[in-house]
Amino acid sequence: MVSDEVLRTHLQELRRGTVVVASLVALRRPDYGYALLQRLAAHGFAVDANTLYPLLRRLEEQGLLTSEWNTEESRPRKFYRTSDDGETVLGRLLDDLTAVRTSVTQLIEGVGR
Amino acid sequence: MSSLTDRYLAATLRTVPAPRRAELAEELRASIADMIDDRTAGGQDHAAAEREVLTELGRPEQLAARYSDRTLQLIGPRYYLLWWRLLRTLLTWIPAAVGVITGLVTATVGDEPGRAIGAAISVALQTAVQVAFWVTLSFAILERTRAPLGLPEWTVDQLPEESRDRQISQPDSVASVVFLLGTVAVLVGQHFQRWATDDGSRLPVLDPALWSFWLPALIVVLLATVGLEVAKYRAGRWTWPLVAVNALLNLAFAGPVVWLLLTDRLLNPELIERFTWLRDGGADDVARVAVVVTVVIAIWDVADSMIKARRAAR
Repeated sequence: MVSDEVLRTHLQELRRGTVVVASLVALRRPDYGYALLQRLAAHGFAVDANTLYPLLRRLEEQGLLTSEWNTEESRPRKFYRTSDDGETVLGRLLDDLTAVRTSVTQLIEGVGR
Repeated sequence: MSSLTDRYLAATLRTVPAPRRAELAEELRASIADMIDDRTAGGQDHAAAEREVLTELGRPEQLAARYSDRTLQLIGPRYYLLWWRLLRTLLTWIPAAVGVITGLVTATVGDEPGRAIGAAISVALQTAVQVAFWVTLSFAILERTRAPLGLPEWTVDQLPEESRDRQISQPDSVASVVFLLGTVAVLVGQHFQRWATDDGSRLPVLDPALWSFWLPALIVVLLATVGLEVAKYRAGRWTWPLVAVNALLNLAFAGPVVWLLLTDRLLNPELIERFTWLRDGGADDVARVAVVVTVVIAIWDVADSMIKARRAAR
């Protein structure tokens, strides 16, 4: 029987890159940190706040997100949005995700044969 | 008193680069407030919600490191192997060399042979600590500056020569045999090539009375150890019978030496009489240091052989 620890590590490895993909997809509609966190959680991406907030800033520095302060609501919030560069990178990432999915399917069918 | 959130923000922002600090503070404060609001809307008490949110965000230093993309390790995988190899290489010979030189200088130029071993050990230890510190510091700086070292890539040509998994290398065995025969030569030689004393007469270091039994016995043990080295080299690795023989030989050598030292029978009594510093407790110091060194070397040797035997058995 595989220990929970081992399983958890592998799942974590598998999920690591998908948070970036999910954030870039979700931020096609501008949003602020905590709202994005909740949206991602609702779609099955359980990501820690202390991982997501720094990640958003890093993606912004890399030019994949743009940001804007919204001061209309009760408290000023920084809204992020996927930039054109972010969209390009996202396209590549999604292609790769599909490629991985296809490869795994082919491999499973190959093994089954 | 400032709120927990204020204290958390201050602790986090302290190590974030200044230009981004103000904006990050505002964003993080809003995020924390959002998270607290979400919990109080569910009926939770504000203070409890605040504690929970800040606990979830975790250590301020860690969060700050994530924001600034900083490493939280002294030496990462990029430099670790190089650091370890360099450290091992330097530690195998620099402290020993410095120790031996210090010991020789203390014994000859300083004319304090009794202090030589102690001085050598203490200087060797200090040197080891210094080497380890400065090498590690340099690599920790490299890790932080992410400086490219431009080292050549690893190639298959660097693989060691031995095809069979030989644990005992020829140079090691030769060195051990040379050392053992050297020790025999010293034991015999000290009787003839004697120490000069103040009045010009020459005396052996070890008690000549020991030649009736103990010195020949120790020499036999040393020669048996040479036999063990040969057997070990032919086997190519440590086996459990070899470990047992090694332990016995270590006991057969260290046991008598320690006993002779503790009963004040190893050093030549005439020699002790001639030197004031030996007479005034110096001989006891020499004996004490020698006992410790003998025991440590014996235990080290046996432990080392056991570890290697276990590794070879795997």
